[in-house]
Order: sequence, then C-alpha cells, then structure tokens
Amino acid sequence: MKKLLLLIVAAGFIAAGPPAAAQDTIKIGLMCPLTGSWAAEGQDMKQIVQLLAGQVNDRGGLLGKNVDVVIGDDGADPRTAALAAQRLATRDVSAVIGTYGSSVTEASQNIYASAGIIQIANGSTAVRLTEKDLPYFFRTCPRDDEQARVAVKTLMENNYEQIAILHDNTTYAKGLADETKKLLDDKNAEVVFFNALTPGEQDYTTILTKLKSDNPDVVFFTGYYPEAAMLLRQKRDMGWDVPFIGGDANNNPDLVKIAGKEAAAGFRFLSPPVPQDLPSAQARDFLSSYKGKYGSAPGSIWAVLAGDAFRVIVKAIEETGSTDTDKLADYLHNDLEAFPGLTGPIAFNEKGDRVGDVYRVYKVNAEGNFVLQE
Amino acid sequence: MEVFFTQLTNGLAVGGIYALIALGYTMVYGVLKLINFAHGDLFTIGAYLGLSLLTSLALTDHVGAAAGIVILAVMVMGLVGVIGILLDRAAYKPLRTSPRLSAVVSALGASIVFSNTVMLVYGPNPKVYPQGILPTTVFHVFGLPVPIMRFVILGASVILMIGLYVFIQRTKIGTAIRAAAIDQDAARLMGINVDRVIMLVFFIGPALGGAAGVMVGLYYGQIKFTMGWIYGLKAFTAAILGGIGNIPGAMVGGLLLGVIESLGAAYISMAWKDAIAFFVLILILIVRPTGLLGERVAEKV
Repeated sequence: MKKLLLLIVAAGFIAAGPPAAAQDTIKIGLMCPLTGSWAAEGQDMKQIVQLLAGQVNDRGGLLGKNVDVVIGDDGADPRTAALAAQRLATRDVSAVIGTYGSSVTEASQNIYASAGIIQIANGSTAVRLTEKDLPYFFRTCPRDDEQARVAVKTLMENNYEQIAILHDNTTYAKGLADETKKLLDDKNAEVVFFNALTPGEQDYTTILTKLKSDNPDVVFFTGYYPEAAMLLRQKRDMGWDVPFIGGDANNNPDLVKIAGKEAAAGFRFLSPPVPQDLPSAQARDFLSSYKGKYGSAPGSIWAVLAGDAFRVIVKAIEETGSTDTDKLADYLHNDLEAFPGLTGPIAFNEKGDRVGDVYRVYKVNAEGNFVLQE
Repeated sequence: MEVFFTQLTNGLAVGGIYALIALGYTMVYGVLKLINFAHGDLFTIGAYLGLSLLTSLALTDHVGAAAGIVILAVMVMGLVGVIGILLDRAAYKPLRTSPRLSAVVSALGASIVFSNTVMLVYGPNPKVYPQGILPTTVFHVFGLPVPIMRFVILGASVILMIGLYVFIQRTKIGTAIRAAAIDQDAARLMGINVDRVIMLVFFIGPALGGAAGVMVGLYYGQIKFTMGWIYGLKAFTAAILGGIGNIPGAMVGGLLLGVIESLGAAYISMAWKDAIAFFVLILILIVRPTGLLGERVAEKV
C-alpha cells in the first residue's frame, strides 16, 4: 500500500514537470463571469484584456518578458468566485483584474488579500468594498456614493431650487436617494419631496399627481428604466413638463421604446460614458483595434474598465521594474497621477478608489438617442 | 380640492381594471368555490396575445382604430377563453372530487407554468404596445383634465360587468350557472349539464381577464410577464372586498380598492400604499366577513 502511494506521488511529480521554468512570463490573472447571468460582460472583459495583452507583447513585452493572461471564471456567483480566486492565487499571478458584480468581488477579496495579490475590480460599485482597509485592493469603477455627488453637482449647476427625490425602495435606488438627500441637505438645498414608488406597477399617476402638488423644479428618480419610462409617459399624458433626471440604471434603450420618443425627449440621466463616447485618443485607438479584431464595439463601459485595470497594472510594473506586490501597491496608491486611461484620467486614493469624475450626464434627444452632455 | 378629485379619478381608472379582473375570480369562485390563482396569468397572456395580434394583423390600419380595437379585444377574449377551458381540463377537472386544497395547489402550479411560458416565448424584457393607436384627447370635467381613455376603460368595464350580470340573471344559461353555483348535484338532477356549465364559466372568466390584459397593454403601453401577479393579487383582494362570488360586488370592490390605494398614497403615505389597502380590507372583513355585497360566508380555502 505504501509503495503504491509512493508511486502515485512520484507519478504526480513527474506529471507536474520541473517546477515552472522560473518566470519567463509575467502572469496577470483575470477573474470574470464567462458563464451565468452576466456572461456577456465577462466575454467582453476577456476579449478586451486579451487584446491589450497582445498589444503589450507585440511591443516587446513587459520588462523583457511576455505577458500571460490567466483566466478564471467566476460564474457571476460568489461561491464560484471563491473557488476561482483560490485557483488563481496558486497560479503565481502578479495581479488579478476583476470582477463585475460587487457581491462576487466581495467573496474573493480576502482570498487575494491573504495571498498577497493585487486585485483591481472593474464593475463593483458597492461602497463597502473599499472600506475594509485592504492594502492591495483597487477599483477602476466609481463608487455608488460618487454618483450621488455627481447628481447633486448637476442639480446645483442647473440652479434647481425645489428638488423632488423619488426612489423605489430597492437597496441600490434607496441608497442613492439617501446619499443624494444627505448631500443636498448639507448644501441647504430644499428637498420638497422624498418618497418611494412600488416597482413593477403600471399606473403611477397617483404619485405624479402628488409630486405635482408639491411643485418641484426637478424630479430626481434613482430607480430603474421600466418605471422611469412609465413615469415619463404618464407625466406627458398629464400635461406636466417638469424636468426629470435619472440614475445610471436608466441607461437602456428600452426606456425610449416604452416611454415613446416624445415623452422621453429631454430626459437626462447620469451614467459612466458608453464606450462610443469615451473621451480620449487612447480610447479611440482602442475602440478601432477592438472593432478590427472582434467586429463590434464592447457592450458596456464596465468591460472597458477591466481594460483600464490591465493598463494600470502594466504601467505600475513598468515604472517600478518589479512584480513585488508591496512596491506595486505603493506605486498605485501614491505615485500614479492622471494616468491616461481609456475612460479618462486615472489615479487612486489611499482606499484604492478611483479619483476623478467618471459619471457623465446624458440627455435623450428628439429622435430618442442618448446624447452625451458636455 | 382639485388634487383630491384628480386622485379620485386616478383611483377609479386603476379600480376599473381591478374590477374587470376580479369578475373572473368571482365567477369561477361562485360556481366551483375555487380561487383560480392562474387568473392573473391569463390576464398577462391576454396582454401578450393582444400585442402579437395587433402587430401581426395590423387591424387598426384596415378598419380604423375603434373597430380594430373591438375586433382585437373579441379575438383575444376568444383565445384566452379557450386557454381557460384547457386550463380547467388539464389542471382542475381531474381534481373535481379531491379536497379543495389540491385544486388550489394545482392553480398555483398552473400560474407558474403560464408565466414562465410567456417568459420563454416572448423573452424576459418588458414588451411595448405600438403607440399612437389610441386617441389622446383630454376632457375637462369641472375643470379637471381627464384623458378620454380613462372613461373608455371605466366604461368598458361597466358595460362588460352589466352584460355579464344580465346574462347570469336573465338568460336560461345564466339560470343554469346560478343553479350549479348553489348545488351541483341538485342541478344535475334537474337536467342541467353541469360539466358544460363549468366549461362555460371557464370560458367567460378568463375571457374577461384577457380583455383586461388588452386594455392594460393599450393604455399603459408596457407589458411584463410578471405583471399578472400584482394585478391578480389586487383583483383577488377586490373580489374579497366586494364579496367573492358576487358580480356587482367585484365591481364595487375593484373601484373601492383603486380609490383607497390612490387616496391612501396621496394623503397618508405613498410607500405604505399597499399596506393601507390591505388594512382597509381587514377592517371591512372584521365588520362584514362576507365582504360588502356578499351573501354567503366565504368558506375556507
């Protein structure tokens, strides 16, 4: 029996081969949802990071070595993500990019932290992720409270005096509404209405009538697009022309289909820019090579933020000339300033959150298209 | 005061739809003592079938808006009625002699099957009725702007309700339905084909639900495969409120529920709208356990 065991162990060593021909590549992990409900996002993330890695290798690699992207599928599910993270952590990666969902990222955070691996999330906006004092965690996407800050800025810039806030009691929408109200109260702006509708209903005329009687200059709706569309449509039927501003859950073309072009025209919402509207020259180059390779533009901004995570890591490794986690983290926290990312300038604060404006204001025009406002 | 009356009309418009769906609940309950929990999903199916027929046949282009919508509604009512009969055959008839709880469980199962079928056929995203078919004229009643469609919806609900009431009270078949509702065995001894009566009930009830589905689709524009759940629950409440098994009761219950919701949301609390409506339901049931117009004590389900 002992002999058999020995044999098996020996066979295992032989199969494993000589212990990794000592680092002739730099490995960067990518954890993304290739299956499950966000598979479309995950496929985009994979394509983008592989495209960028190919470009780095064509330029002669990183510190004279080729970049190797190691992919782990998190299945858009926290449990699968924990397994994927453990697997990636044993694959000798210098840093890990990802992932999309906040709860999925959260399940992997401590695994990377205890393995001493840098993690840069790309789509996880929940505030608490960077409130845990994890020294190696960063993200290229904005936090949920950043959106509230931009909302307040937009409301103030337009000189609205009486502001109505409407949410739908979901965690996300209520959080955004609460945060916005808090910031408005700090600025002594007058919030004349703060209440919730019941999502999934068809008739919101009762709420609109109530809103109208409070006579706001603007309504900020933090919920999702199906309800926003019904509100816009019924508001128009009532003959009420108050401006509506929505949160980033309204960035969906179905909004215009449901509301109708006339009712949707003039509606503004906050959102990170869609890939086609990305501001920089880097972004234009990137989009044209992406289209050249895969045939169409990436579906959402969140996948492009994974590309930014990759470019930031490459930059850090180049500048520090090292793949040491502490050196990289120190560089990202302190020395990276206004790095020209695909989605605009990138820098990180001491928590690992991205600094700078990512959110933009979009407006629906008369043809029903979403137009970026400068 | 103007706001009060506007909220009143808002409530009546929603209540008219609740009432129309509640009629289907009440009819089936009246005859079989069965709460047909799949009724809300028959309403959803009506809305989706209406959309398919509207876009594929382009009726309103050929015969004009009003006639087109009437033809559309009749077609959908027929189709949903047939689905109702099939539902009865597949899910309820085999359980006619079983304990009543089995039929309720079967109804819940049918509801899940229907809503998932709609999702698989039409997809999970909300669908949109084509716009510009309905007139958008706004009437002014005592200085209050009221869209014409509100009158049309309320009017259609009232007409269907009165039609049904007359049919049940004045015709021979209606008498047979009432007889089957009181005592199926005695009705059978009197020469009434009870199975035929039940089939008819399962045609009329779902057909009314289908008509409500088309109205909601046309008026609100957006339909979702999950919408039958909320509307079904509200209509069920309306039927209980008015006295389940009682046709005018469903109408009164539906309108009352719509108005309570609307005024509760406007003057008490918007987020507590549903809680207020159900609180009123509990109060009414404490004072009148049979509902407002109910005669029989609702037996336990």
